[in-house]
Amino acid sequence: MDSLFSQLSVLGSSLVLLFGLILLWRRGISAYVGAFAAQSMVLSAVIAIVGYFGNDHELYWVAGTLFLLKGLVIPRLLRRMERRFAVEREMEPYVNTASSLVVSGLLVLFGYMVTRPLVGLSQLPTRAGMPLAMGLVLVSLFVVISRKKALTQVIGFLMLENGLALLAVLGTYGIPLIVELGVALDVLMGFLVMQIFVYRIHETFESIDVEQLNRLRY
Amino acid sequence: MGYVLEVAQAALALALAPGLAGLIRWLKARLQNRRGAPVWQPYWELAKLFQKEVVVSSNASWLFRAAPFIVFASTTAVTFLVPILAVPLPFDGLGDLLVVVYLLLLSTFFLSLGGLDPGSPFGGMGASREMTVAALAEPTVALAIFALALAAGSTNLGQIVARTMADPGAFLSPGHLLAFGALFIVTLAETGRLPIDNPATHLELTMIHEAMVLEYSGRYLALIEWAAAVKLFIFFALLGNLFIPWGVSVVLTPTTVAVAVASLLVKLVVLAAVVAVLETRIAKLRLFRVPELLSVSFVLALLAVTSSFLLK
Repeated sequence: MDSLFSQLSVLGSSLVLLFGLILLWRRGISAYVGAFAAQSMVLSAVIAIVGYFGNDHELYWVAGTLFLLKGLVIPRLLRRMERRFAVEREMEPYVNTASSLVVSGLLVLFGYMVTRPLVGLSQLPTRAGMPLAMGLVLVSLFVVISRKKALTQVIGFLMLENGLALLAVLGTYGIPLIVELGVALDVLMGFLVMQIFVYRIHETFESIDVEQLNRLRY
Repeated sequence: MGYVLEVAQAALALALAPGLAGLIRWLKARLQNRRGAPVWQPYWELAKLFQKEVVVSSNASWLFRAAPFIVFASTTAVTFLVPILAVPLPFDGLGDLLVVVYLLLLSTFFLSLGGLDPGSPFGGMGASREMTVAALAEPTVALAIFALALAAGSTNLGQIVARTMADPGAFLSPGHLLAFGALFIVTLAETGRLPIDNPATHLELTMIHEAMVLEYSGRYLALIEWAAAVKLFIFFALLGNLFIPWGVSVVLTPTTVAVAVASLLVKLVVLAAVVAVLETRIAKLRLFRVPELLSVSFVLALLAVTSSFLLK
């Protein structure tokens, strides 16, 4: 039973991480949005699995909200933005695709290294997935700093949040529902604010390339 | 008994390989609403090429003539080392996964030399591209199989298969799945399928395999094409038997060998169908984006190794 649980959780975590890597590989915004939606759905499935095996029924609610918010609502908002900025592809990131992928591989290794003491301490069957969640956090951070388009950065930020949620649920069997609701609301508000920013950037520069913001200095 | 089986599986690989290539072609044609050449068409093509006269460029050296034989021989040698029907094999002690990887690389290397030798511009172009792809793909093959080898505690292909059979739960472990993904992408690259290379035409400027063999004719071309089909067969057999080992015979009785042959055929047909559907659905990648795809597969393989190493 426990081995099935730990296998499922590791499998789910790897999928979540893989969807994160799509951000570094593909160039079209629509692929990013699809990857984010799929990632959030897998994440909510992992949370539900943890809820089932860990006998914590509050987690079903968490999984449900996450599924609705990040699996359906935010992707829909993102798609609306994407329709407007579809021409803006991630053509020339600061780090090119091939090296980004290698860097992300190293980042995941680094994630394994830093979570080693944590994994050693933990007795939970889900502990094997924690390095992958940490890897996702690092990879999303890398996306945020290495990509130029505001929309990509927003999606990178949302994936970072997914990574943190995964880390929390794997490491501690989840946070109380009320905290999770607060975080969800926070994400939604943060996203709306960022959305306004992206629109403003687009209005000012007629592009969502954040490099343009350098021009503000002059 | 083991040696008989060894020879039998190599013969089976050589015999089935052109049919496998033909099957993919036929499935693809059907998916694109064409009637398509029959599955056994590649056999007729090979038979015809073997009877044809050989034309060799006056610039070509002995290397040009030797390369097809080396390519064919090294590819055939791999069929003795890869678990196709049964494990453990008597030749298991002779070569593990590293030998397999390097034998495959040896054939790629001599094929490129053969392409360079006559000094035609297309041959040089094809050879340089093939080397680019091979340099990125070859480490990934080794790394992907290493992920399984780590779990099995041996680089011996037969033992890897035996170990996965003994522990069916390992099939769903992330290392296993990631390595499968990595090896699948590399299979497409190594055997010159879409999206890396287009096997259906030699009229494209971006061709790789076809550009290298453009100067070959007659029985040389037949050997190279046959070796290419065998290579496809080997990769499919690796994908099928290393990752989904059920059906491979462990004890040698007529029944288990029959089951092994049947399951091998099923796996090959399924993989051929997957490749055919994939090739119908996607377009060829631009050459400069090929390294990106291959680095995706490299990262997958790296993650596979990490997770099977650290989750042990």
